[in-house]
Amino acid sequence: MLLAHGVGGRQDLPIPFEAALTGAILALLVSFAALGALWTEPRLGASIRYSRPLSAVFQQVASAPAWQWVWRVAGLLAAAYFCLGLLFGPDRAENPTAGVVYVLFWVGLIPLSLLFGPVWRHVNPLRTLHLLACMAVRRDPAAGPRPLPEGLGYRPAAIGLFAFVWLELVAPERVTLPVIGTWLALYAVAMLAGAALYGSHWFDRGDAFEVYSDLIGRLAPVTRRPDGAVAWRNSLDGMAGLRPAPGLTILVVVLLGSTMYDSVSNAPFWVRFVQESALPAPVTGTAGLLAVIGLVLAAYLGATALAGRLGTAPPGKTAGELAHAIVPIAVGYLVAHYFTLLLLEGQHTLALLSDPLGTGADWLGTAGWSIGTAGTTPASVAMLQVTVIVIGHVLGTVLAHDRALVLFPRRTAVVGQIPLLVLMVLYTVAGLLLLFAA
Amino acid sequence: MSLVLARLRPLAAVLALGAVLLAAVACGSSDADAPAATGVKEVAVTIAGRQVTPPPGRVEVAKGQTVRITVTSDVADEAHVHGYDKSAHLQPGTPGTVEFVADQSGLFEVETHGAKLQLFQLMVR
Repeated sequence: MLLAHGVGGRQDLPIPFEAALTGAILALLVSFAALGALWTEPRLGASIRYSRPLSAVFQQVASAPAWQWVWRVAGLLAAAYFCLGLLFGPDRAENPTAGVVYVLFWVGLIPLSLLFGPVWRHVNPLRTLHLLACMAVRRDPAAGPRPLPEGLGYRPAAIGLFAFVWLELVAPERVTLPVIGTWLALYAVAMLAGAALYGSHWFDRGDAFEVYSDLIGRLAPVTRRPDGAVAWRNSLDGMAGLRPAPGLTILVVVLLGSTMYDSVSNAPFWVRFVQESALPAPVTGTAGLLAVIGLVLAAYLGATALAGRLGTAPPGKTAGELAHAIVPIAVGYLVAHYFTLLLLEGQHTLALLSDPLGTGADWLGTAGWSIGTAGTTPASVAMLQVTVIVIGHVLGTVLAHDRALVLFPRRTAVVGQIPLLVLMVLYTVAGLLLLFAA
Repeated sequence: MSLVLARLRPLAAVLALGAVLLAAVACGSSDADAPAATGVKEVAVTIAGRQVTPPPGRVEVAKGQTVRITVTSDVADEAHVHGYDKSAHLQPGTPGTVEFVADQSGLFEVETHGAKLQLFQLMVR
């Protein structure tokens, strides 16, 4: 049995033209409403106003050290089970490893983070391994031999994220065990080395997957307050709490640009170009990924610089201050792009996970699952895709509007927002066009 | 809280308008798509020197239609329809055929496994 070249057999039909057009018109209307009629005072941001905490019973459970250990142990056990298939399973399409990495983990983290917040930091097996090692030698896990350099910011996570999307979208033989295994081993070594040097705070902004889960998790309706209580909150307040840091802009641009490249790479014109090019496919693929990310970055830097000038903001501040507004747009596009993959390939992977060694076993009782579409039709999927993209656009526009009121003096606030709204409409329409054409 | 709601009113109005528009689009399109699934859809592809003829594009068929794909390659290979998991062994110069009923909708890649070439994408509506 030969391996298929990617995960997932069935892909979504292109969305109908009317749906793409409707989404684009909605995006424009929302933007104009935001520009003209929304609030005129900044309401979101650093002083996050939390509403009521969750019930006292839940507070006690969630604050107990045992609760944290339950999740750490669950993370370790899941990682160990995953390694069974990775290290000892047969290198065939029936091995669950690729599905676990690219579907259950990478795509599954999106809904989990959207609901519960930055979940990966609580189960991250690498963080737990570092914690256990520190406990064994009786050292404070937070205190590394060296202080975490201030200027590092999100740069390690941005590099890690790019490395992962390159593996997912470009790397040759990317669903085979040696390729996945080598990548994960290198990643684990890099993360543990960072933690050994700088302490466990390294994971906060250095581990691409913790940062990915944290970015998306800022939209969750619950959060842990600084005083430790778990409380309901406004998702927009959570997102506005993402403050500028070195590498933040690159990070959000890689997140949005890489998903757009995934659409481009499926379009017939790109397939033809890659196959008829004299260069090896990984070279054209890498160039394409870099080009799409570069275009998204150029549009972002251009629009924010122009907004800063028109709005008379302090120079060099707008790009970082507005990066949080891109996250909902990227999340909307991620959900639209990967919803069916998670639904169908997720079930397929859970069935395969019952027999990671390929011995005909049925350890989880899921081996016999038949994959259902859960009532989705091409029309309902298209509807969902346009809806989540428009919701992402609305949230991004509101966040940018609110931050613009802080950045720009009232006199120039409206004119300063025009380039930002043009940028958001550009990203949204590009996303819709890609779903229509690719 | 009511102040926030009042300020959000224009946004809510836009969203309501959008919901109506979306519903109109969804209703409009559901009537139109149901082409008759009759006859066999024949697709012929030739591979010579890693060059795919016709060049990779999209082939649209109706759900329930029978699809017959004939692939002629200048090297030994295996043609594969993603998702339906149908394959044909290809001997150099001898056409190989895959025939199946396209009974699930979606977009499916048809490719060769040896040379790793995409032949076309099958669009089942």
